[in-house]
Amino acid sequence: MNAKGQKAPVLVIGAGIAGIEASLLLANSGRKVYLVEKTSYIGGNVIKLEEVFPSMECATCLITPKQEELLQNQNIELLRLSQVETVSGSFGDFTVKIKKKASYVDSANCIGCSACFDPCSVEVDNEFEERLAKRKAIYIPCTGALPSIPVIDTENCLRFKSHECQACQEACMFEAIDFNQQDEELQVKVGAIVVATGFKPFDAGEITQYGYKKFDNVYSGMEVERICASNGPTQGQILLKNGQQPKSVAIIHCVGREEKGYCSSVCCMASLKLSHFMKKKLHEVKITQFYSDLSIPGKAYQKFYEEVKESGVDFIRVTVAEVSQSGKGLSIKYKTEDGKESTLAVDMVILNPALEPAADSAKLAEILNIPQSEDGFFSEKEPDLTSVATAQDGIYIAGCAQGPKDIAETVAEAEAAAGRVLSLLR
Amino acid sequence: MAKKIGVYVCECGTNIAEKVDIDKVITAVSPLKDVEVVGKHKLPCSEAGKEAIKQSIEEHGVTHVVVAGCSPKQHELTFMNVCEQAGVNPYLFQLVNIREQCAWVTPNGEEATDKAIRQIKAAISRVRYHTALEKKEAECNPDVLVIGGGIAGVKTSQLLAAPDRKVYLVEKASSLGGKVRRFEKLFINMESGSALIEQELQSLQGNENIEVLTESEVEQVLGFLGNFEVKVVKKAEDKELNFNVGAVILATGFDLFDPKGLPQYGYGKLDDVYTSLEFEEMNISDGTTDGKILLKNGNPPESVAIIHCVGREERGYCSKVCCMYSLKFDRMLKSQLPAAKVSHFYSELCVPGKSYQKFYEDTKGMGARFIRSAKTEVTSNQKGLTVTYETETESKGDLVVDMAILLPAMETSSDAQKFAEMLNVPRDEKGFFVEEHQLLSPVASAMEGIFVVGCARGPQNVAESIVQAEAAAGKILSALVPGRKLELEVKTSEISETFCTGCKTCIDVCPYGAITFEERRRISVVNGVLCHGCGSCAAACPSGAAKLKHFTFPQLYQELEAVLR
Amino acid sequence: MVEQFTPRIVGFLCNWCTYAAADLAGSAKMEIPASLSVIRVMCSGRVDPVLAATALLHGADGVLIAGCHPGDCHYREGNYYARRRFALLRKTVETLGLDSDRFMLAWISASEGQRFGEITNQFAEQIKKLGPNPMKKNISL
Repeated sequence: MNAKGQKAPVLVIGAGIAGIEASLLLANSGRKVYLVEKTSYIGGNVIKLEEVFPSMECATCLITPKQEELLQNQNIELLRLSQVETVSGSFGDFTVKIKKKASYVDSANCIGCSACFDPCSVEVDNEFEERLAKRKAIYIPCTGALPSIPVIDTENCLRFKSHECQACQEACMFEAIDFNQQDEELQVKVGAIVVATGFKPFDAGEITQYGYKKFDNVYSGMEVERICASNGPTQGQILLKNGQQPKSVAIIHCVGREEKGYCSSVCCMASLKLSHFMKKKLHEVKITQFYSDLSIPGKAYQKFYEEVKESGVDFIRVTVAEVSQSGKGLSIKYKTEDGKESTLAVDMVILNPALEPAADSAKLAEILNIPQSEDGFFSEKEPDLTSVATAQDGIYIAGCAQGPKDIAETVAEAEAAAGRVLSLLR
Repeated sequence: MAKKIGVYVCECGTNIAEKVDIDKVITAVSPLKDVEVVGKHKLPCSEAGKEAIKQSIEEHGVTHVVVAGCSPKQHELTFMNVCEQAGVNPYLFQLVNIREQCAWVTPNGEEATDKAIRQIKAAISRVRYHTALEKKEAECNPDVLVIGGGIAGVKTSQLLAAPDRKVYLVEKASSLGGKVRRFEKLFINMESGSALIEQELQSLQGNENIEVLTESEVEQVLGFLGNFEVKVVKKAEDKELNFNVGAVILATGFDLFDPKGLPQYGYGKLDDVYTSLEFEEMNISDGTTDGKILLKNGNPPESVAIIHCVGREERGYCSKVCCMYSLKFDRMLKSQLPAAKVSHFYSELCVPGKSYQKFYEDTKGMGARFIRSAKTEVTSNQKGLTVTYETETESKGDLVVDMAILLPAMETSSDAQKFAEMLNVPRDEKGFFVEEHQLLSPVASAMEGIFVVGCARGPQNVAESIVQAEAAAGKILSALVPGRKLELEVKTSEISETFCTGCKTCIDVCPYGAITFEERRRISVVNGVLCHGCGSCAAACPSGAAKLKHFTFPQLYQELEAVLR
Repeated sequence: MVEQFTPRIVGFLCNWCTYAAADLAGSAKMEIPASLSVIRVMCSGRVDPVLAATALLHGADGVLIAGCHPGDCHYREGNYYARRRFALLRKTVETLGLDSDRFMLAWISASEGQRFGEITNQFAEQIKKLGPNPMKKNISL
């Protein structure tokens, strides 16, 4: 409690599903939450998915009520385009400096009508859509992204590159575009910090034998998630580069597993999910999964695996696999555990990569003074006993920031971090 | 009292105004019965707009408000607040969507205008039938009942207990600590489980906000979130305790699948075939062998087979922790008997997460042998115990060993069914308790106020069980704040005593168990704490006795009738 | 020869899924039949058969009930009840001499704005082909 008898606020870093859940629990108990998010949108990696395993529920339907609850909660101050710069102090009394980049759009005036997009003449790759679509310099990452208030990408906006352009401002009916907005530096005092910065996928291009970015129709798992998404670059149509539907697909597991030295825990299930989805959309498609060990732990996953297998998806255990071009299509050369070599011709290859910590994790670890393991994930204090407490009292980690895991585990950790804060920060 | 309806139409800059002829709309709705004032605004959701509406409401004595603009998903709350500030009950209000579902999707201006008029007229008809609804609150008890004194139960109690929140920790055995107390080592740091429990118990002892009830069993739990009535029997003293709590955490742990049912492993028939828990018991320093790994004949084993996935096919799931603790066993064996040969017979290697693969590779580096086997059998002949295996490519082999350790599937504890019935918490076909939502609410059960953590919920390791224990604490600490009332859903269902015929149809359809049958009056009654406002009962009720507030039949009928006029 | 007429279609949309999809269709500026009038309910399970039948009796040419996909219901099971009631409703209206194709039950999730557009337009076409609701001529309740 501070001098006024108010409970100390809490800082949550990252507005993905873990950050959202932790923020809601903390806010609903009566605490103020500063929710710092690097990007312009909330929902992190989950809103990129069309369906989630094992229930195959629609990811957006799942998370939208939580997102709306968050945006309407009076106790939560969402700081988009923001990053933590410095942290000092200790449990109960941290002083945090936050750098908030200007969005150049006034959130009080903007009503999210998107009239400013069309007039913008700049077109760049949309990172959210895994560069499978374009966006303008003033944008929201995808239809339905929240909050619906766009931001200006100053790296590509003509005006910020010293050209005269006011196209978006002229198109806005509500005087919501303000080129005079400045980056801000905020200083807040909080009692505890929850780090929920999530993950990014391993770059499949680092492994040359899979032909990623070399051959057409070799995609990363995340690219396929966007392709399958009904609000994605192809509105959920699964098509090859030539515009036709694939007749045969190979899904290669464990991409980057050897390089990273750990099993990312969720990719087997993600591969099963994609198979299930693709079979639903393209009834005749032949899907083959290339894997090393099947990681389907827990009460619910094996049943899903059996259903997918039953639907006609093939599973081949391999020690090595290599993708090459074969005529107009692709060919996978692989070796099974008994040493036998075979090939399989397919139209499309999906690489399911390892999960890595989010970019800038090292920088954040330094700022917070919390250790990282050699793979870059934030380290917990007593690994066998809990995953959420770090060596620093008052600083907690939750979700994939701690290590690769599925949504249920992520939410449990977010709730556990909130539990620790609510119990220990009086 | 006469109704005075204020209708405010949003132009949304030009978003609505460029398609919908606002003036025509105003002309069309002004003459309607009870409409007192109709206004238009460029942006009613702005500060200026909200002020203007407030002023209009006060000036004209408006009793019911209709705003036509964007989606209620955007601004319903905004305008409900405006109503409240202007002295109008926030539920005497309707927001009409003439943007996302009208102006933005109807290219023809005339059609868009007609549609807007139709929808606004419907809202006016509907709002006449709205009733004022008040915020609902209920007293709640912040105390918590924790059933099960294993590591999860102990950890959650520690986080929850406070001077203003008492925790009752009930354990059927004579001491706390559950299974972990009998683990000599925990993976991956190979530290003592019993020492960990000792440590935890010491901190519990000093805690006067936790009432530990060992050798006790929960006999009855009645009630609902914020208000559970609990009956506990202290077996040793044959004493009954009655107390109230606001939430219940079920942390009853696991038991192992009984391998006796699988004759191919020879368990219970052949000597020196042990389950993992039996092997743990052998290693604990105060166990029957003083912590020494010994065969039945009193000698230490020279070669050991560890057989994974025992019962996996029968149970239909992967128990997640066995591959990892088999590696722990491997190291425990190597540590005590450096010359012992250890061979693992497994189907899939389950080592998920950032640290487990390395633990596996290091263990393998210490000399463990891993044989992937689709079919494993344990038999006995003159040579001793023989493990026969068959790989996925159907090549066969056998290995003679001194000892076989079976890793059986993890199941819920034997008293799970008792609690499922007592607490009305469903279990899935595998026997584990079902979460409120598999992904978004993993530690809450389908019954509000009852949480399930640890292995009662599904197979998991110590760290995960503790995370869930902390998560349940987090949810309770957030929802049940001492001194603060529980805020309840306003738009709930209620059942008219007059019209209820006692058919109980509503009870069957309610997904939340929010309706109970009251024998005395022979009617069904809705529990406002548990009702989520879905309306299934209202739709199912044959006599129209069940009504969903704010979505009653008359209200929906008026809306319907007006759009079709 | 069916004369061209503008059908009156009533859509009962569930708040959590289909209503959100309808909003999304709006954000994407899709074209949705002007003849569709939307009535928001919290759950497709709220729509009782009497309400749906009343719509038809009051002159609706088509009635659409839409909610979350089975398994995704915000209230767990509401949409299962909607499905059962709808099946019964279709059978019942046929005995009254009405075409049960005037009713449609659809599962549209919150992200399926595109699909909302497809389904509503398809349904409007279907109703146009069926012609005006014969009950419109007999209103004397």
